[in-house]
Amino acid sequence: MKSLALENLSKTYFDPYRGTQFTAVKDVSLNVEEGDFVAVVGPSGCGKSTILNMIAGFVPITSGRILVGGREVKGPGPDRGVVFQSFALFPWKTVSENVTFGPKMRGVGKAERAKIAEEYLALAGLSHAADRYPNELSGGMQQRVGVVRALANNPDVLLMDEPFASVDAQTRMTLQEELTRIWEERRPTIVFITHDVSEAVFLANKVVVLSKGNVLEQVDIPLSRPRSWDRLVEDDDFKALSNQVLQLVRSA
Amino acid sequence: MMAIYTLWGYYARWTARWPMLAAFIPFIPLIAIWAFIVWLELFPRVFLPGPLDVIGKAWELTYKGILGDYLIDSLSRLAVGAAAGIAIAIPLGIFIGLNKRAHEFSWPILLFFQAIGDIAWLPILLVWFGFGLTTMTFVIVYTVLFPIVLNTVLGIRSAKPDLHRAAQSLGAPRGRILLEVTLPGALPNIITGLRNGLGYGWRALIAAEIIVGTSGIGFLMFDARRAGSVDEIVVGMIVLGILWYIVDSWLLAPIERATGERWGLVTK
Ligand SMILES: Nc1ncnc2c1ncn2[C@@H]1O[C@H](COP(=O)(O)OP(=O)(O)OP(=O)(O)O)[C@@H](O)[C@H]1O
Ligand SMILES: [Mg+2]
Repeated sequence: MKSLALENLSKTYFDPYRGTQFTAVKDVSLNVEEGDFVAVVGPSGCGKSTILNMIAGFVPITSGRILVGGREVKGPGPDRGVVFQSFALFPWKTVSENVTFGPKMRGVGKAERAKIAEEYLALAGLSHAADRYPNELSGGMQQRVGVVRALANNPDVLLMDEPFASVDAQTRMTLQEELTRIWEERRPTIVFITHDVSEAVFLANKVVVLSKGNVLEQVDIPLSRPRSWDRLVEDDDFKALSNQVLQLVRSA
Repeated sequence: MMAIYTLWGYYARWTARWPMLAAFIPFIPLIAIWAFIVWLELFPRVFLPGPLDVIGKAWELTYKGILGDYLIDSLSRLAVGAAAGIAIAIPLGIFIGLNKRAHEFSWPILLFFQAIGDIAWLPILLVWFGFGLTTMTFVIVYTVLFPIVLNTVLGIRSAKPDLHRAAQSLGAPRGRILLEVTLPGALPNIITGLRNGLGYGWRALIAAEIIVGTSGIGFLMFDARRAGSVDEIVVGMIVLGILWYIVDSWLLAPIERATGERWGLVTK
């Protein structure tokens, strides 16, 4: 695990059909400490996905720099693990083949991969589904695989773009609790994009509020851990922080 | 009403146990109608033979060894032509699918030559290569080629961007992404291409055998016409249908079930 720094990051999209351009991200600077959990919130279209896609290396940067552990990164790489809203599991690979895809690409041998699969499927509570194909799993199970697939590759930073947006509310709360548990156990550096304010406050140590491509405010979340919905639903600090962030997002 | 339900129940149970029956039973009414029309004697027997005449003829041809020999001739021509066609078409389709420039450049050419259907080449091929194996192989390779190339290109180009990104972020180099992500994703399209290609190839072969052949099922049918043996022609037609059924249900469908359907890429 390593730290992540964004330095004066900007992104301008060009529309070749209309000949217009649009600046989706303007001069964003942000520091994410090693082992920190940062959530990014903001209204639709404020540039959240654009920032994450630049960190992941999926879209080219217009200006600025991205540093992982002090080293500038360009293009996608295994140092930054990504969890997708669409899950993006390989349909032709079984659950355990999906989870060990990263290690396989690194040349890790079969026996070692079996161990990795066992460990991470246990972490996700999916040991019984190791040999199933993704289309035989529920949405919640699929995203558990998506999360541990990224973790099993030992990334320096874990990037998540609305990973729980396409599962039902019940499952979402379970997944959020599981993610905090995993984070508390293993302390990966996480950048978590969401438009759900209570999700951001529940999960993160720090919530970054974006507005029209700019950082509007950073709010620290000093809630104690381990966190669970049973406890936090009634918690006054949680409510106050959620309210504060919600006001910021609405004013954004 | 009850009787129909009972019958349907039997049908469902027996076909579940022997799937071959499910393929055969739908033909029973068809054969019955055929037999009935023959029985009415609206047409002379030599014009419209009945099912029993055809079965008799099929037995005779098999017994003499003609049917078996011709079948092997036709099938081996198809196998050689299809293998060559597939060996060219899939790599070509992958290349064009991956390479934007190659795609822009070759697409109009592909569409143009696809339009000059298989047998439209026969006149010029006969001038160039004469009545022989070269001409027939060319026609089959040509016919098999286009559906496979076009579908492979389609499959490669419709790859899901998120899967590509996921593989990149997991550290997969380009070659591995092609092998582990792009190609499996394109497989359902490639199989569709194979199905169309082999189907068209089979038809083109019969047409080619009718015109240039000295053996094979197409030749058998055309030769029978000269002798005025309608039952022999019908034997040829039935053999064509059965053979395609076998290729499709014993070769292509199992591949489909083991891949695209299993992975949830295509609906069952
Ligand atoms: N490929 C693109 N080409 C042009 N404009 C784009 C492109 N991708 C995003 N944009 C624009 O950039 C802005 C930010 O988009 P982005 O997807 O980052 O928003 P977001 O904050 O993730 O929104 P949401 O919450 O709806 O996912 C939007 O106005 C969008 O229209
Ligand atoms: Mg987004």
